Amino acid sequence: MKTVFLLAILGGFGGTLAGAHFVPWLKHARLPSHTSVIANGGRSEQFLIRLPADRIAATDAEAGGLRSAGATGTMVLPAQFVAEPLLVEHFKVRDSGGSVVGVAARHWNASGAAPTTTWSLLIPSRGAIVLSAPGEARSVLETALRAGGYSGGKAWDGQVAVPMIPSGEVGTVTAGTGEFDGLAGNYTEAWTVAAVDEDGRLSGTVEINTITSRPQ
Amino acid sequence: MRHLFVAIVGLMLGAAAAVAVLYFNPLSEQSAAQPQATDRVLHYSLPDQVLEFAVGEDASLFGQDTGQDSLWEETIDRTAVLGLLLNDEANQPVAIASRLMATSPETDLLLRGVLLSDHWLVTIPSEGTLFVRAESNAWPFLKNTLVPVWYLDRPWSGPAEYWPTVGPGADDSGVALGITGTFRGSEGSVVEHYEISALDPERELANANGELHLRLAGPQVAAQ
Repeated sequence: MKTVFLLAILGGFGGTLAGAHFVPWLKHARLPSHTSVIANGGRSEQFLIRLPADRIAATDAEAGGLRSAGATGTMVLPAQFVAEPLLVEHFKVRDSGGSVVGVAARHWNASGAAPTTTWSLLIPSRGAIVLSAPGEARSVLETALRAGGYSGGKAWDGQVAVPMIPSGEVGTVTAGTGEFDGLAGNYTEAWTVAAVDEDGRLSGTVEINTITSRPQ
Repeated sequence: MRHLFVAIVGLMLGAAAAVAVLYFNPLSEQSAAQPQATDRVLHYSLPDQVLEFAVGEDASLFGQDTGQDSLWEETIDRTAVLGLLLNDEANQPVAIASRLMATSPETDLLLRGVLLSDHWLVTIPSEGTLFVRAESNAWPFLKNTLVPVWYLDRPWSGPAEYWPTVGPGADDSGVALGITGTFRGSEGSVVEHYEISALDPERELANANGELHLRLAGPQVAAQ
């Protein structure tokens, strides 16, 4: 009886500590990755953002234009930042199959010599990937929409595709963690707007296409 | 039958002893080395400088309603997105930060604590954008402050300060990478510090002041 008691204590003690150490308590759900291998051995993967459903928030500064105007979550900036050429947006991110797999932040900043765009995409089950590129010109989306017949305050629908990396420039994979750690590569970003409502809310899709490889 | 009863009692006693060991375990309370006086410090206060906070349904520490626009999808329900305004040494707004957080698979209740993967994108408009990657240990805060005060109604005896950064860089500090502008190409380390100044579950009040201590090569991060 005494032996059973002592063995049970040891079992309970050891089992609990082993559970604390080995059990993956906080593992994230993972969906199959929609990646494909391309000719040079790199890996191609597309991330999508459906607007307006996937927009979490955007800053309200003047630089935001339509991308801020119709956002449900508004980040109200202090007076010092309102006139700055700065736009910060937060999104949910989907894989190419349309399932939500992560969250993302996009920082556009035109205060320096030239505009820059930086993305941080966090896929909890896989890691984070940081993308960087020369930024789009201010109000590029509004300019393209006006050329497509949109006028402010009125509903519009159609199809306008806007590449967000200036022609001749390249977006690069700058950093990564987890599964994305050590990857190099490039990316493209395009916004396709299908509708704008009276309040300025955009409907459309943001496509981020990455090509990555592991440097030898 | 008596053997079974004795075995169950023994297992429970053993498990209770192990829980006590885990609770007082110093291994899960480690933190990064203290920052140097020359580090650049960016300050924030909660909730005043929160621009936006979206939290997953399984990541709501304070039990708050996550709202209709929460991160409800199974793949991101242990994730949070925080928009923050950061101040400089003179307490003037100087930067906008996006903080993407997720519970870390590196969590190890025996050796490392309850870890969060922190991914900061910090833009100082006149200087550029930084990416900051840190593992933050939430266990000391959960154990010493949140659970006793918020969930067990123990009296608040704060303020309480924490140094949550535990990696992934050298000296257990976080890693900072310059992405654009004057930061481009620079690398360095980062340590976070925060102080909980008020915690009152009845008024649903939680106030904190935080600091991000950055150490990057180059003149742009000299102490101001």
